[in-house]
Amino acid sequence: MSTATAIIKRVPLFGRMFNVDTSTGLEELNAWPALMVLASFVWLAIAILLGISMPLSQIFELDSAIFYTAITAHGAAMAFPFTFQLMAAVGMHRAGGCLGKPITGIFASLFFWFMNIGGILFAIAVLSGLKISYAVMYPLPVVGVATGQWSNWMLVLGFSGIALILVSVIVLYPLQIISMLFFGEKREDLVLSPRSLKDPGMLGMAMAAFVLLIMGLPLLIVASAVLLALYGILPMAWVTWATEPMTFQWVFFIFAHNLMEAMAIMVISAVYATLPLYLADGTRKLYSDRIANLALWILLVTSVTSFFHHFFTMYPALPAALSYHGNIMSWATGTGAALTIFTICATVWKHGLRPGAGLMAILMGFVLYILDGVSAIITSNVAFSFQLHGTMWQSGHTMAVLISMSLMWIGVLLHHYPVMTGRQLDEKLGMLFVKLYTIGALGVSWSFLAAGAAGMPRRFAAWNQEGWMMYGYLILLFGLCLAASLIVLALNFKRSRSIEETGGAAVPAE
Amino acid sequence: MLEFIYLSGWGAFALLLSFQLPFMFFFLHLIYKKTYVDSAPSDTSDEKITKFKNIWMTVVVVLFVAVNLMSIQYMPAVSSARAVASGQDVMEVDVTAASWSYEMSTREFVAGKPIRFTAKSTDTVHGFAIYSPDGDVLFTMMLVPGVTASSLIYTFKEPGTYKIRCLEYCGAAHHEMSDEIIVKASTS
Repeated sequence: MSTATAIIKRVPLFGRMFNVDTSTGLEELNAWPALMVLASFVWLAIAILLGISMPLSQIFELDSAIFYTAITAHGAAMAFPFTFQLMAAVGMHRAGGCLGKPITGIFASLFFWFMNIGGILFAIAVLSGLKISYAVMYPLPVVGVATGQWSNWMLVLGFSGIALILVSVIVLYPLQIISMLFFGEKREDLVLSPRSLKDPGMLGMAMAAFVLLIMGLPLLIVASAVLLALYGILPMAWVTWATEPMTFQWVFFIFAHNLMEAMAIMVISAVYATLPLYLADGTRKLYSDRIANLALWILLVTSVTSFFHHFFTMYPALPAALSYHGNIMSWATGTGAALTIFTICATVWKHGLRPGAGLMAILMGFVLYILDGVSAIITSNVAFSFQLHGTMWQSGHTMAVLISMSLMWIGVLLHHYPVMTGRQLDEKLGMLFVKLYTIGALGVSWSFLAAGAAGMPRRFAAWNQEGWMMYGYLILLFGLCLAASLIVLALNFKRSRSIEETGGAAVPAE
Repeated sequence: MLEFIYLSGWGAFALLLSFQLPFMFFFLHLIYKKTYVDSAPSDTSDEKITKFKNIWMTVVVVLFVAVNLMSIQYMPAVSSARAVASGQDVMEVDVTAASWSYEMSTREFVAGKPIRFTAKSTDTVHGFAIYSPDGDVLFTMMLVPGVTASSLIYTFKEPGTYKIRCLEYCGAAHHEMSDEIIVKASTS
């Protein structure tokens, strides 16, 4: 039994949901991804409680410190230990099953430990008073120490956690995928559904790994320099280049923006890979691999330099020419999305679909993702940005991109679940989850965007003015709907029955 | 109409829905029809689907280009340059933001007169957003310490009391970082 399987067995409640099937000879493929999925859902449970506590703290007019603590911890938990870890787990599982490579190396295990220990360290720092939002807002962490908002010790602890998370995202995950793609021997016993880099479903995995590695390195270098200085290993005078606010802002958004884009490329490739398995006529082919690949390349090329849209409102510190470039590139990503919409619609129209909770989660996640893409490109227009930047519109976009991608990954997970655990999920509960999640996500997304249109600031602990509390109530209502959907999902995992018990009900092959 | 779309949050929201809703209803209808009504393979020819692709991509590109071209006149860099080119006197206002207040060279303005707001931060990242008396964001600027001050020219149309808020999270009292300016009616 592998270390990962042993850990899963010892975890109360969640361990039962993701217990690995050791009888199929696929433990080397399943164990670490299953443990990562388990951990990601633990973080999700924490993130849900924190998310609901935000509108509640506003409605009951609690201390603003509670709101800022919750928003920092909620954002961080949602983005990294939940969404990214879930994506990495399912992505590794997919890659392993397509390439016939075990997920047992040092990169996979270190990814798990670094991500979760990093998350725990950051959570301790936040609960101890470090309230810097998940976007760090540098130089706020340092200014906060100087103004007595939190201690240097909390800053060092929080940055240590962030550093571990960054290493797992920027180095360990990409290296795991690259090592599976280009190194090691293929094992036929681990091949579930062979794919090559020519397949859109695999091309996106490779693109995302390289984007994370290349676009994340500048942040890793700057953050490492700052951290070494905070530890006292390097004199602060040696790292003044790294502590410049604008240096940090540049490298942070080059990474953060491209992290989201890389996750989008990965999830779209996962949609491309999974959709054909549910086509009604069994041809199992996308309408056109060529157009699907073209859409991924457009998304990749246009998104890399569209990060300038984070700085439009700094004009003229960000020259107008770079603003226009960011504007054009951001909207050009929409043409890649339009091609993806076409490919999916044409595939569905041409072949028809077999309904399944996993597939519906993927398709509803795709709808939410495209709807969010519209909010993203609107705020990436220079003129709109001057009314919307810094409002709840931005929070709505960030939240919607995370919850839409999460739904798509949960859909892929529902598809992989029988292979991973040897157990079958209930379709009715699965469908109920998808419906509740979609309604909750749509409602909460539109509530945020409308709040932004009304000028409600983001990360702002005073909703009781200008009539903004109405949006707070809507966010709470639809947030509870989202939470209810995830309780249904957890129930479904908990009630899953072994495939033998269910008579080996057919699932689309992978 | 264009002013409403490009210069107010609700204009952006209206544009958002006009893009989102047709896509959402079309996609959901397609999924429903090809999953539950008739999931059999369609006999539509590839030629027709290719034609649909060409129409779809043309519509997307035309819409994207139109929305962005029409927005140019509302971009602050362009509207500021126009204000300078008009030859009108531009009133200069310096703003310095620091946790959690603003220092401003003046807080009283006259409607109809262009004003250049030049704003900087001295400690951490702050925002400088001006709200109309109705509560709409007129514009916002991000102020990052250590870089060139953010700057734009704005002309208030209506007299009244305008609220200023920080829209970049800046610590424990971020929500209390606000101010007010008075815009008086033009006497000329």
